[in-house]
Amino acid sequence: MSTPPPSLWRRIKAALRPPRTLKVTSVGRTYLVVTFGVGLGALNTGNNLLYLVLGLLLSVIILSGVLSERCIKDLTVRRVGTEGAFAGEPFAFRWGITRRQGHAFALTLSEVDSPLAGEGGVGYLPAGAEHVVRADLTAPRRGPVKLTGVRITTTWPLGLFAKTRVFALEGTLLVYPRRGFACADPGEAAVGHVGEANNPHRLDGTGDIAGLRELGEHEDARRVHWLKSASVGKLLKVEREREERRTYILGVQAGLTGDALERRCEEVAEQAHRLLEAGHEVGLELPQQRLRPGAGSGQERAILRALAWLGFEEQREEAA
Amino acid sequence: MTTRPNRLRLILRDLGTAAAFSSMAVSGQVPVWALALVIVAVLVSLMGFHPFARAPRLTAILLVPLAGALYLAVAAGQMDLVVAACSFAGLVASQRLLSETSPTTDGQVLLAGLLMIAGGAALSGELLFAVCLLAFAVLASLSLGLAVVEAAVPPGEPVPVRHVLRPLSKGVLVAMAGAVAFFVLFPRLNWNVGVRRAAPGLGPATSGFSDTVRLGGSGTLKSNPRVVLRAKLTPDPGSQRLDAYWLGRTYDTFNGQEWSTIGAPSKRRRTRVTLRPGAEKQVYQRIELLPAYGARTLIAMETPSKLGNALMHTPTGDRRTQLQELGGDELRFVEEALGYSYEVYSVPPGTDTDPGKLAQKELDQLLSLPENIDPRIEELAHQVVGNETDPLAAAQKLSNWLQREYTYTLELGGDVADPLMEFLFVRKAGHCEHFATALTLMLRTQGFEARLATGFFGGERVGDEYLVRAGDAHAWTHVLVPGRGFVTVDATPPAFRANQSLELLESLISLYEAIEGMWRSSVVDYSFRDQMNFLRDMSRPPRNEPGKERTQLPPLRAWLTAAMAGAAVYWTWRYLSRRKARAPVLEATRFVDSVERQLAAAGVRAGDGETLEDVSARLTRDAHPLAPAVSPLTRRYLEARFGQRPLQPGESARLLKELKHSVEVHKQQQQTPRARAS
Repeated sequence: MSTPPPSLWRRIKAALRPPRTLKVTSVGRTYLVVTFGVGLGALNTGNNLLYLVLGLLLSVIILSGVLSERCIKDLTVRRVGTEGAFAGEPFAFRWGITRRQGHAFALTLSEVDSPLAGEGGVGYLPAGAEHVVRADLTAPRRGPVKLTGVRITTTWPLGLFAKTRVFALEGTLLVYPRRGFACADPGEAAVGHVGEANNPHRLDGTGDIAGLRELGEHEDARRVHWLKSASVGKLLKVEREREERRTYILGVQAGLTGDALERRCEEVAEQAHRLLEAGHEVGLELPQQRLRPGAGSGQERAILRALAWLGFEEQREEAA
Repeated sequence: MTTRPNRLRLILRDLGTAAAFSSMAVSGQVPVWALALVIVAVLVSLMGFHPFARAPRLTAILLVPLAGALYLAVAAGQMDLVVAACSFAGLVASQRLLSETSPTTDGQVLLAGLLMIAGGAALSGELLFAVCLLAFAVLASLSLGLAVVEAAVPPGEPVPVRHVLRPLSKGVLVAMAGAVAFFVLFPRLNWNVGVRRAAPGLGPATSGFSDTVRLGGSGTLKSNPRVVLRAKLTPDPGSQRLDAYWLGRTYDTFNGQEWSTIGAPSKRRRTRVTLRPGAEKQVYQRIELLPAYGARTLIAMETPSKLGNALMHTPTGDRRTQLQELGGDELRFVEEALGYSYEVYSVPPGTDTDPGKLAQKELDQLLSLPENIDPRIEELAHQVVGNETDPLAAAQKLSNWLQREYTYTLELGGDVADPLMEFLFVRKAGHCEHFATALTLMLRTQGFEARLATGFFGGERVGDEYLVRAGDAHAWTHVLVPGRGFVTVDATPPAFRANQSLELLESLISLYEAIEGMWRSSVVDYSFRDQMNFLRDMSRPPRNEPGKERTQLPPLRAWLTAAMAGAAVYWTWRYLSRRKARAPVLEATRFVDSVERQLAAAGVRAGDGETLEDVSARLTRDAHPLAPAVSPLTRRYLEARFGQRPLQPGESARLLKELKHSVEVHKQQQQTPRARAS
């Protein structure tokens, strides 16, 4: 229950997809060539021992089909997903795979029909418990990636054939802009001090309480802590840490397309990361969207998400 | 992060390669240097060293001169092309074993192993090939299976070896059963199935026939349990032990040290030889001389009359061969081979026979004595025989006396000047040749015509055949009885006539021979006719064989058919029961899909990872108009999906109809204010 019903073309494609696909490995190709040769030799010479060897080779082929089928049936798979996927660098992606009965061996998982490169593997999967398979996937570019299914492949038992089963599992993976180095300066802060701080003690701010001291002459009476002052009998001033937090508004200009848009997104993402790490508030001004300034990792994730959707607004509406 | 290859997998791979190479090596045709190189490579690899890992391509160049040497050997006619190709496969496998381990390397080793196995099948029909094939199949399969799992296991995690080996072993067993089924049932499309190859088997021959019999030496041959002859008799005697004399040749001249024959060989070569006229109730023998025999002299149960239809078994197959007559009733195969098979008709023991084609010179020689024979022998013979004139009675007297007064031993003092005098008057102990020589010469001193015969004594039943071992080699005496021909008289004590080998060793060899015989008949010589017989036996009721009582129980095929039908019913029931169990789950899933579609039509869409339960909670929280309709649906779905309360027939349609109604009402309410605004 994650995405709207698939399109007609996707449904047709899924319906036409064979339930299992079989691919011969390089060792398997060699094996088939030898089997063919032994078969020719047996038929040509009538050598009973060659018939025996041929029988063994053919039995192994049939056995490979049966055991690999037993290996990939009775499986259920779900996407656990990822903490965050950045374009151009490996990110940890996880699937949860469960076997209802029996054992499975040598399973390889990957996303089907998607630009994500990489796969995860599990050597032995017992029945009952869910096994989380981790893979280092790589997405080539920023933006939403439509996920249609999970491909499970096994070369069990002898590595002669790779049998694949595709589990239809719709989903969307949002790939954030590539993380890199931003040469450009983020510009002047919209709110906050400019230049060096005017008070080295930084105790006249509006942050956390740093302590109490006696109110000096000409000092602001609004800083008096009345309760404490009443208890000690003299005016005490509340000292608060002065906050260095500044507010920046980063933006992506309208009209950028292609590589220019990509570069700007990457640059904004990096600037936002750097500013937020320094404790500042960062807002985002996009052609069709505006994010209010904020701080912390949540704001960074919101900025990255907004940048990832930039240029893919139609798909975002579809996904919504 | 790279993972070190599993050590067990590499060991299995190396041993599998060794088994594949052994399947060729048992044929004895692989050159010794190639054998040595492969053994060294396998041992080094087993110890975990891979010296070629740093320069696999450079070391591959080493194969070029080896290939050249093999090519020259083939071009010079010193080596068969198949042997050369298989040897080269072994060398390639060795180079790969010593290189770095990788999936590519393992694949190449497997290819080379398969080629060696195919080569072994072409070169050898030995039972050991079956052992090697079995070992290769098991070891290579386990190695490949472990490699597959090892490749799927994430780096740094251990390979689940124990979990893998069990299903793999079961799979290998199933594959072998499938191989047997294929072998039995796949129709032999050609008639060239009688190609039979011979091999030395357990080593060089230890028996053999020479032109002379020299007294002296030790009797180590008597302790050799190797089988030299296999015979099928018609009519079948049926007994477990056959106390028969298997005649090889006879000797008529003794010079004091050794026996020889004065008869000249015939230059004629024939496919069939008649030694003497036959008789009624002759014993037909189909005899096979095995590589352990190591001679060209034909052996036949006493007393042979006709011999022929000889085949010689060579490493390249069977060929017809001819026979040549020599003196002393000896027949030889014209050509040298590893083994032979032929047919014999023999006059049964106790039947009067023709003495055979003997020249006057040969008849005179039956009374000849060594020039320097000691007169005490004649005196001794006279004391025993007395005035007996019947040659057979005299021979029996002497034989009984020798068995009573002399002891049998295989330990002799070596060559002496007069071995007969040594036996009769000094040691008073000897083996069969001493007993037979003493009887023959003592008969001759009394004027009775006699000769020495050599061959084998005994016969041990294995299956429907009789086996004769190298230790059954024996010597006895032929006494010429007027009107009856040559009659066999054996002076050796009966307990020592057959082989004197260890009983355990004999049992083991017998077991091996029985298995080897089954292997030959069931696998190597399996033919289209055997397939037809097998299918006929499966499809028709067994014939009523005389002597076998019919049981009231159904035949075996009925049991098998019933078992197969039962298994089919069980699997069908299991399949259908599993399908039935899944049906409620599918019904619930279809139900939730329909609910989602209706909600989507009403503009209520679920977010990423949001379940129906989440959507329902959200609608309730937001006081959505559809929340009262969705909540019971959600609860009912969860009960059907996880609560073991499947949806009843028609319930799904009813609930969806109610939801549809709610959705339509909701849509109308949404459209009404918009109309006012416009």
